[in-house]
Amino acid sequence: MPKRSSITYFFVILILASLILFILSKTGILNPITSPLRALFSPIESIVHGGMLQITGWDESSKIKLLKQENQSLVGRLIDQQKIVADNKALSDQFQAQNSRSSSLIPANIIGSPGFLPGISVPEVLTLDKGNKDGIKEGDAVVYKNNLIGKISNVSDFSSSVVLITNSSSLFTVKTLNTQGLGVIKGQGGGEMILDNVLLSDILEKGDFVLTKGDINASGQGFLPNLVVGEITSVSKNPSDLFQKAAIQSLVDFTKLDKVFVIGN
Amino acid sequence: MKLFSIVLLSLALVLESSVTTIPLVFLSLVSLMVIKKENWIFLYGFLFGALLDLFSFRTLGISSAFFVTFLFLILLYQRKFEIATNYFVLGACFIGSFSFLLLLGFNNLIIVESLVSALIGLLLFIMFKRFVELDLVSSKNL
Repeated sequence: MPKRSSITYFFVILILASLILFILSKTGILNPITSPLRALFSPIESIVHGGMLQITGWDESSKIKLLKQENQSLVGRLIDQQKIVADNKALSDQFQAQNSRSSSLIPANIIGSPGFLPGISVPEVLTLDKGNKDGIKEGDAVVYKNNLIGKISNVSDFSSSVVLITNSSSLFTVKTLNTQGLGVIKGQGGGEMILDNVLLSDILEKGDFVLTKGDINASGQGFLPNLVVGEITSVSKNPSDLFQKAAIQSLVDFTKLDKVFVIGN
Repeated sequence: MKLFSIVLLSLALVLESSVTTIPLVFLSLVSLMVIKKENWIFLYGFLFGALLDLFSFRTLGISSAFFVTFLFLILLYQRKFEIATNYFVLGACFIGSFSFLLLLGFNNLIIVESLVSALIGLLLFIMFKRFVELDLVSSKNL
């Protein structure tokens, strides 16, 4: 059992060291050291994450997986068709313009997705095996097929982290596909999102799809328009409230993802 | 014991940075401190906290400062009360996990996660206790 003075001595020294580490990390001085260390750790993280995906996905047959993928692709097609029917040629041109950007898609493997119960709970952040050296920058959008996954929050030379759209810090503008209602998506954590700040005069329908409105800034970072955010599962409308709300469910199962695409600039 | 601690903490570090948000590194450190009550655990707290921040893309130093402070509080508490008990470990792990998750900005299912963490902490404590007892018996026999 160590003496009290030696404990206090140890405590003070290590707290000061933590403080120095914090300041150095905040100023970015440690980046040349931290990036290679993260790169060294990436393969281990990738193996553990891959193993966990296999363990948690053992009960899901390949046929169900294929059906889910087919379902996602059909929903994507349905949305595209509805857009074409509802809008005129100008929107079709916009769609073409969006496709032209697909050449700047950067494929990335997910090497970490910490959640409360691995493979069951929806993670709040993802770690990718691509970073600065691959052209990824902070604020870039991350997608899977037509679906929005999240935004790059931290980047090192060889890896990066993504804040999911369901994260409680997530906030962005959206519109509904059929009724063109405008609102704001607020992440609730645990895989849940709500569509808030929708005017009472706008119409929200259960089953309608929610798409990004588009908020690309001057440096080209942010979300492109018409990326699929999710589907409305319930609507809460009270005449005495200023706005109406809706619960949104993403079409993507974040716990089973192993690859995503970053929309580079 | 030190080697065993490093292996266990490394395993907890890998799991915590890639698959789970349960604070496994913190729970291992608390269990170690309650049983061994030695200064080197502070150093492990600092080092593994820094590594955890590094691999979890957080600002370095946050976890280290939290771990070192909490371990210090545990040692202060043991001056007046017996800390190597199941109840203390359960309580300390719950309060510590709750505070740590709150510090990291988690707000979903945080109480449930803290409860599960407390149970895992208790299991780790029982395992360490058994390990130390076996270690003592084998060294006496020699």
